[in-house]
Amino acid sequence: MEASTGSSRTGNDRPVRVLCLGNDLVADDAFGLEVGRRLAERLGGAAGGESPDPAATVTFVEHPEIGTVEIVQTALYGLYLMDVVVGARRLLVVDTVVTGTEEPGSLLVLREKKVTTSPGGSPHYVGIFEALDLARKLGQPVPDDVVIVAVEAGDSLTIGGSMTEGVAAAVESAVDLVVALVSAAPFPG
Amino acid sequence: MSNETKKILKEASDRANAAYLRRRITVDPITRLEGHGKIDIFLDEAGDVDRAYFQIPELRGFEKFAEGRPAEDMPQITSRICGVCPTAHHMAATKTLDDLYKVEPPPAGRKIRELVYSAFMAEDHALHFYFLGGPDFVVGPEAPAADRNILGVIAKVGEEAGRTVIAMRRRLREIISMVGGKVIHPVLGLPGGVAKRVTAEQQKEIAKTAADAVEFGKFTLQLFRDVVLAEKAYVDLIVSDAFTHETYYMGLVDEKNRPNFYDGRIRVVRPDGAEYVVFDSGDYLDYIAEHVEPWSYVKFCYLKPIGWQGFTDGAESGIFSVAPLARLNAASGMATPVAQEAFEEMFTTLGGGPVHHTLANHWARVVELIYAAERLKELADDPELIDPEVRVLPTETPREGVGVVEAPRGTLFHHYQTDERGVIEKANLIVATQNNSARIAMSVEKAAKGLISKGEVSDGILNKVEMAFRAYDPCHACATHSLPGSMPLLLQVRGSDGEIISTLQRDSDGSLHRQ
Repeated sequence: MEASTGSSRTGNDRPVRVLCLGNDLVADDAFGLEVGRRLAERLGGAAGGESPDPAATVTFVEHPEIGTVEIVQTALYGLYLMDVVVGARRLLVVDTVVTGTEEPGSLLVLREKKVTTSPGGSPHYVGIFEALDLARKLGQPVPDDVVIVAVEAGDSLTIGGSMTEGVAAAVESAVDLVVALVSAAPFPG
Repeated sequence: MSNETKKILKEASDRANAAYLRRRITVDPITRLEGHGKIDIFLDEAGDVDRAYFQIPELRGFEKFAEGRPAEDMPQITSRICGVCPTAHHMAATKTLDDLYKVEPPPAGRKIRELVYSAFMAEDHALHFYFLGGPDFVVGPEAPAADRNILGVIAKVGEEAGRTVIAMRRRLREIISMVGGKVIHPVLGLPGGVAKRVTAEQQKEIAKTAADAVEFGKFTLQLFRDVVLAEKAYVDLIVSDAFTHETYYMGLVDEKNRPNFYDGRIRVVRPDGAEYVVFDSGDYLDYIAEHVEPWSYVKFCYLKPIGWQGFTDGAESGIFSVAPLARLNAASGMATPVAQEAFEEMFTTLGGGPVHHTLANHWARVVELIYAAERLKELADDPELIDPEVRVLPTETPREGVGVVEAPRGTLFHHYQTDERGVIEKANLIVATQNNSARIAMSVEKAAKGLISKGEVSDGILNKVEMAFRAYDPCHACATHSLPGSMPLLLQVRGSDGEIISTLQRDSDGSLHRQ
């Protein structure tokens, strides 16, 4: 199996990338990484290969219809994600979110295009959408097809805390959801 | 792929599709976040600002978490807690282990550490200057809000420059992964040295990146001159009173009082520039104390011998500041030639040191970027870098250790007390932002006072408060994985009776709501 960052390939054979964001030392923030781990287990992926950044690990899976699926796990965030969002033909992000309006453990699915970024908002706390915008503006190969799967966090502030009950219970459903989304082409919604 | 895997994939798809319909899943843009910053403003009877409090969610539980862990795990663990400066925590923890075991790395071990650290400082400063702090000034202070973002910066400096930053940053990060390994978090520091040596091949590659980084630093300074210093409105903003505070300044310096990010003694100067004290990391508890306020999880650092006099400026107040501007204020020059020229230019232009204008942090960051690149080059060109002796094995029984480095955002202290097996009994961390927390609180209050009078709350207040806050580039791990990444702010103004008069909310999509 070829390991590649995807940047040297043409459009159709670039990988589908599942970008799992999280910090396994901080309570519910471990969610994204745990989903990545379970997903790799479920799909029988092989570890290793070229990683887009020293702070990210990559697992590869060959899907019968989709082609190469990369599962990337990292604790990077915001603009530091610039190098990990390029080179894929479709991008699915798994992360936590705090909306305050959902039960902890609820899963939210967002299309990137429908989340308005912040033309007038704070440029300091730039997030993944700004990273995507910037990479596109600079002519980097960034997918148009970006979906986020986020779980509503209960506790994302306690160092050393484990995932809260609702969030931990949502891992398997999130894996199911990711597999379904990855299999659908393009992403629905 | 095997038939078994195909079967698993199909079953998973079927299950997920069924679950998708059953489960409560929302498909909506996020409009309201609770993981937000909050500013509470209390007015006096005349309708002017009496007090302002700024709060943000903070990570908690570190001390408890560290207890019972092997100290040798700390370079990996602490770098994982903080998404912002993992290399800084890794290095501070490693130096703490040196102190804990009373070992000194051999010259090559020390040089490798400082090499990686210089690459880290250069790439972080570059990212921050162009993409994080940039929108505040490169686009121009009078620019419409819609342009004051990263895309506005690119429009102003050009796509070519933007691509150069990304490429430069990638190459600097490759140095870190080359020396530290390709894992989620670097494996580099060990008590008494580093994990592996640098080869002659690697040194050649690093030297090339370093030389380009120095040119890149010069390019950035010229850009700053052309785009920022040439604009009077911005210079006026830098020196305006709203963004000025006269506090003590702290930074790590070498034996000639020049900044060194990796090692040195801690030097503190008074608001008038005279040296107040120079101390070793092991003595930090004699000089730095933490003050607690009932309205904040964040503890406010101050100079212990001077004491806590409240949120005020001046030599009588123990409040101090860290980070690029403070480091340069606490120094008498730079250790490398191009950075030295840039240092002199900055202080001459701003009327001599110390410079009390918070927004000058952005300028100081460029000076430091140049120093980090030049220092990287010095170390990359050093024949001793590839010496195979990179570690001294510890033999002493551990008890207590302190390690300090300058993170991009300021002075960082790690302190562990262990049993004789090296298991942590007590741990303390003072992160850069804590050192700045009192000054940040003052800046927020000053901005509030400038923009609220007789009960009238100006819309511009959120932006002005943010500009002050952003200049410190606070590290808030709370922002680590909260989508979409922009921190919404909730501002509440209360009258002298404590009742809420007015609420301003800026959502993560930039839209402003007023009640």
